Amino acid sequence: MNAIFALVFLAAGAVFIFTDPEGFLPALLSGGEKAAALSLSLLASYCVFLGFFKVMERCGLAERLARLFSPAARRLFSTQDREAVYLASCNLSANMLGLPGMPTPLGVKATERFLAGGNEYAADLLFVLNATSLQLLPTTVLALRIAAGSQSPADILLPTLLSTLLSTLIGWGLLRLRRRRYA
Amino acid sequence: MKFAALILPALFFLLFLYALIRRVKLYDCFTDGVKEAVPLILSIFPYLAAILMLSELFERSGLSDMLTGFLAPAFRAVGIPPEIGKLVLMKPFSGSGSTALLSEILEKYGADSYLARCACACYGSSETVFYISAVYFAGAKKRRAAPVLIALFAGFSGSVAACLLCRVM
Repeated sequence: MNAIFALVFLAAGAVFIFTDPEGFLPALLSGGEKAAALSLSLLASYCVFLGFFKVMERCGLAERLARLFSPAARRLFSTQDREAVYLASCNLSANMLGLPGMPTPLGVKATERFLAGGNEYAADLLFVLNATSLQLLPTTVLALRIAAGSQSPADILLPTLLSTLLSTLIGWGLLRLRRRRYA
Repeated sequence: MKFAALILPALFFLLFLYALIRRVKLYDCFTDGVKEAVPLILSIFPYLAAILMLSELFERSGLSDMLTGFLAPAFRAVGIPPEIGKLVLMKPFSGSGSTALLSEILEKYGADSYLARCACACYGSSETVFYISAVYFAGAKKRRAAPVLIALFAGFSGSVAACLLCRVM
């Protein structure tokens, strides 16, 4: 990440110096503004879902769900950490359903737990699964298509599903190949 | 679509009902959960700011256009139309940027054209990799480059597959 950051920053900076020196600061500021706005909306969804989550934990439902998920998820993430497995499974199911805002707080907490337990493979796997998109119902795309006056907005569902399945499988497969490198 | 909208309110309703039956103190418990939100955001914020500034620079400097032009032949070679190239390139960096681009493509070529369907499938099958890595790995002590590269490559393969599938389906 350090290398990418330096490379893109320097290249873009050079372009700005030669073409549009005045545009440099506004570009940075607009990035900062977006970060502030996004953090606020993230904070809002964290409040909702971490609250929801604590209730789930306290009434014992979390335990039960974890037990239900655990055999498959434990193998997938190769971990014995019950809470992490449960958080990760909820993250994945919220992702697939496309519930807005829900996956991120769960995923971040699960990653924290995985890393705290020294299980880097599980943290990376959860990231790859999230970053290759496993949404079953791409709600944003459907809404945009309907808004653009599509005759058959659902046309793209099957190709999208198949290609996202493929990308997820490739990501998982590549990570597995590297697995020996994790201590 | 109607059914999907029901999921969230139903989940909350059922959970809170169940919690009441189990005699959980709902208010105390819910606020306990919310308490964790602020530290979580604080740990993510610096990474989010850096990534978003970077993607803004990338976009506004014209680098992304240049790169798209430069990569167009390569994109064409794997079956991605040049009009979609920019979207494929942009998606890992910026969710809002690529959404804007997608609606532009829908408008320009018509929602049911091959290009538009292709763009939809590419958009739907990939994710904002850099943003997710910033958020997920904010707490990681070691830099994690390999999973990011893997996710980028997998997402790109997904786009190639999407363009191919849209042609035959």
